[in-house]
Amino acid sequence: MSFSLLAPLSMLLSALVVLPVLAHLARRIPRDRRPFGAMLLLERVVERLRRRRRVKDPWLLLLRIAALLALVFAATGPRLSYPGGTSEYGASGRVVLVVDRSLSMSLADGGATLLQQARERAISVARDLPGGVSVGLIAFDDDALRLTTSLTADHERVIARLEALQPTSGASDLRGALLEARRLLGGEPGEILLFSDEAGPKMIGEAATEIARLVEAGSAIIPQDVFAEPPRNVAVTGARYGDGLEGGQVTVRVANYGPDATEVGCEVTLPDGASIPIFVDLPPEGEAEERITIPTEARGGVGEIRCDDPDLALDDARYFHLPQVGASRVLVVDGDPGDTPTRSEIYFLERALAPWGGLKSGVTIDVTSPVGLMDLDPERHRVVFLANVADPRPFGPRLTEFVRGGGNLVITGGDNVTADRYNAALASILPAPLRKSRSVAAPGEEGVPVALPDIEEPLLSPFRRGGRASFTRIRSHTLLTFEPYQDVPDEVRTLLRYDNELPAMVERRIGQGRVVVWTGTMDLGWGNLPLQSVFMPMVQRLVSYLGGEAGTGAARFDGVVGQPVVVPLPDLALEPTVIGPDGTPVRSRIDGARLLFTPPDAGAYRLELDSAPPLAHVAVNTDPDESDVRRYDSVEEMERELAPDLLVQHADLSRPLLALALALALLQALVAMRGASRGST
Amino acid sequence: MDQPIWDAVVLSRVRHLHLKARYLASAILQGEHRSRRVGQAVEFAGYQEYLPGMDLRGLDWRVYGRSDRYVIKRFETETELPCTVVLDLSGDMGTGASGRVALPDLERGKASYAIVLAATLLYFLHRHGEPVGLELVAGEGVTHSSLPPRSGRNHLQLLFLQLASVRPGGVADLGPSLARVGQRTRRRSWVGVITDGMEEPVRWLPALGAFARRGTDLRLFHLYDRSEWAMSFSAPALFYSPEGGEPLAVDPHGAAAAFAEVAREYVDEVRGGVVRFGGRYLPVPTDLPMEQVIRSAVLDRPLGVELP
Repeated sequence: MSFSLLAPLSMLLSALVVLPVLAHLARRIPRDRRPFGAMLLLERVVERLRRRRRVKDPWLLLLRIAALLALVFAATGPRLSYPGGTSEYGASGRVVLVVDRSLSMSLADGGATLLQQARERAISVARDLPGGVSVGLIAFDDDALRLTTSLTADHERVIARLEALQPTSGASDLRGALLEARRLLGGEPGEILLFSDEAGPKMIGEAATEIARLVEAGSAIIPQDVFAEPPRNVAVTGARYGDGLEGGQVTVRVANYGPDATEVGCEVTLPDGASIPIFVDLPPEGEAEERITIPTEARGGVGEIRCDDPDLALDDARYFHLPQVGASRVLVVDGDPGDTPTRSEIYFLERALAPWGGLKSGVTIDVTSPVGLMDLDPERHRVVFLANVADPRPFGPRLTEFVRGGGNLVITGGDNVTADRYNAALASILPAPLRKSRSVAAPGEEGVPVALPDIEEPLLSPFRRGGRASFTRIRSHTLLTFEPYQDVPDEVRTLLRYDNELPAMVERRIGQGRVVVWTGTMDLGWGNLPLQSVFMPMVQRLVSYLGGEAGTGAARFDGVVGQPVVVPLPDLALEPTVIGPDGTPVRSRIDGARLLFTPPDAGAYRLELDSAPPLAHVAVNTDPDESDVRRYDSVEEMERELAPDLLVQHADLSRPLLALALALALLQALVAMRGASRGST
Repeated sequence: MDQPIWDAVVLSRVRHLHLKARYLASAILQGEHRSRRVGQAVEFAGYQEYLPGMDLRGLDWRVYGRSDRYVIKRFETETELPCTVVLDLSGDMGTGASGRVALPDLERGKASYAIVLAATLLYFLHRHGEPVGLELVAGEGVTHSSLPPRSGRNHLQLLFLQLASVRPGGVADLGPSLARVGQRTRRRSWVGVITDGMEEPVRWLPALGAFARRGTDLRLFHLYDRSEWAMSFSAPALFYSPEGGEPLAVDPHGAAAAFAEVAREYVDEVRGGVVRFGGRYLPVPTDLPMEQVIRSAVLDRPLGVELP
């Protein structure tokens, strides 16, 4: 807001202010002299009147000065400039209506959503535009869509398109919308009426370039206020399954974008239909995190958490992947059933993973012979232990598919393990090709100890507080060895080494799946691992580490509403179908070895083949930034920075000041007359 | 008092004053001032039961003979009642409807009214056989003139001469003047004070205590000019007091309401002071018929004047 004077020299007239002061100082002395016998009483009268006039006269003087100053000020031609666009549009002859229909525009405000308000105002503007004005219409969410192919003088058509405008769950691509507007205008100047809440931390910033281009082209972006004051919204911004008690925990983040603290009721629905109610206390403009414990047995798939929020319903649910959770998630393939416990990997693994028999433990194991791998069910088993299996070649493709589908494979050494067979069967998923087993100590010696582990590794981080040194008591005299390899970030990592630098535990990630090789044995064949105190927690941690983040047999993908989801397809003869949350197919397309589809709404999507289990689960959620209904930046401010003279209104203050001067003059006359009627001295 | 007593104008005014007073006095119903002292005299006052110790000379034997009761005859004592008129002829008394004149014309204005009122009172009381006196507490060239109450026609003529020759002027300084008169006044006498009272009441009302202490029958004739108190002047003017002081520029139209308010408060203040000292307050506008004033003053009848 700024202020200017057209004729500043007129301020010199303000010297006239001395006139009323002089007039007040001057006393009017009557000419007539009259003897009076009751002067005693007259003195009392005068004193009484003077007391009243002491209060009244200064006000009279002030009124007169104020009237004179207002008059002088009016003569200077004062002009007030303040931000704001005109309420009449169409002067440029080219108007583009840009309507935001993203998720945040579904915010309820006073009985109607922001989009409804924006739509009504846009219709009103379109109706009021002069007949010759060309109008264009663009609606945007995460995609800017021209609803008129070009500028048109057919306002009724624009109004009809506006009336048909529906909300979406998408994000706000203001940049794209302004780009389309610029294209509609064909580079010529025009007026762009923006009907948007301008909410979210990134919306305006991302559109800065387009705003600048439009301003440079001489166009004006005129924002129309469609804000909720104050904006209130509760949204679920995150949900993720991870380690924890029982069958693991789902960590949920709920954000409150309103100014008041609140408590909301939420319900977690698991893929098998089980529901878990929770209540979340939310601070004002803050968020809260809750952990929901999953039962020890739960079906894998996509779960949902939904919270009650009357303001904006579209972002009140969030979808998350839940792996198969249950007691039988570990399959141990016994390649060497020992005749004594000390020579049986199964004996030690069972006691390490299910010391209470599996009922109370989160993990029990299914033990099978190598032949049982033919029945490997990725939906049931998330971790497979190959314990001293002699020949995995018959099951190599199955295991490879299992790992590529998100399964986890643990290979342990032993006398039966033959490097060539493993390399032949599992070459594509091993961290590195295996070599023959190697003796690293003479018979009768204790063997090589494991070096102090790096507790920054997520697998070993639980040992930060204790147990780290226990690893050094693990010794092996014979080891599986690898062909030379190097650690590759996010792919191949050596988790444990022996003192002689030979690897003790190596991990390889393949997509969602992992392969972990323990170069020793799980029995006492090559070392003393099962007898060490660290054995049980290490094995349990290993299963938790692998099972908690690896999933069901179906692949798992995440997506955002309105944004393409790309699913790499396995070698399949048939084209899978994408099934939406409502059970109906969603349009998709195959692009080479990928399937692409754009989810229109949040929810659980799945890729299916006829008469087969889901090929993949896709948890689609709304953009968390779109749930943030607060304003961070303003198009108007940005525009004003770029072109200060744009969107500025001017008000001529001369007439109001003149009216004020007249009013003050009348008021002082009334006061003066009233004073005269009460007597004067 | 610089006028010689043989001044023809003064002598003419004396006669004029005499005639006026005589005319006004004759119009008043005859009344008597009865003494409050009871004793041996010629006027029967009534009977009283005899009590031991009473003077047996008052015993009415005829009543005893008729009714066998002892009663004492009571008589009112008819005594002389010294009467003093205190006249304030300060400068302010020279204002009013007629304005200031060299000698009051005895027809208009506060001074004329005061002089005629004083003369009439003196004549009436003299004709009633009372000794009369005059105290002038202000007047042009008069600081304080005192003629104590006496009987006799010549004395009355002297008082008339005094009244005929005085003109308003100077400052009354009522407080000390009234205190002085009060000290000289005989006990149980009649005193009529004629004044406009235009001094701060707190300064002169306490002086009335001197009259109260001497058992004086006090009448205060408070003279005022209705036109002055109504502020019925046509245009703003510079008002001034003949007694001196700063003039005041006043718009009469605007000040009338406040003046009436102040005047009422002032009258209440003076009346309260007079009544407090056992006197009788008589507000006398100068257009009030003088017979009415005399009758009210000597016969204790209501004056019937509406205050401003």
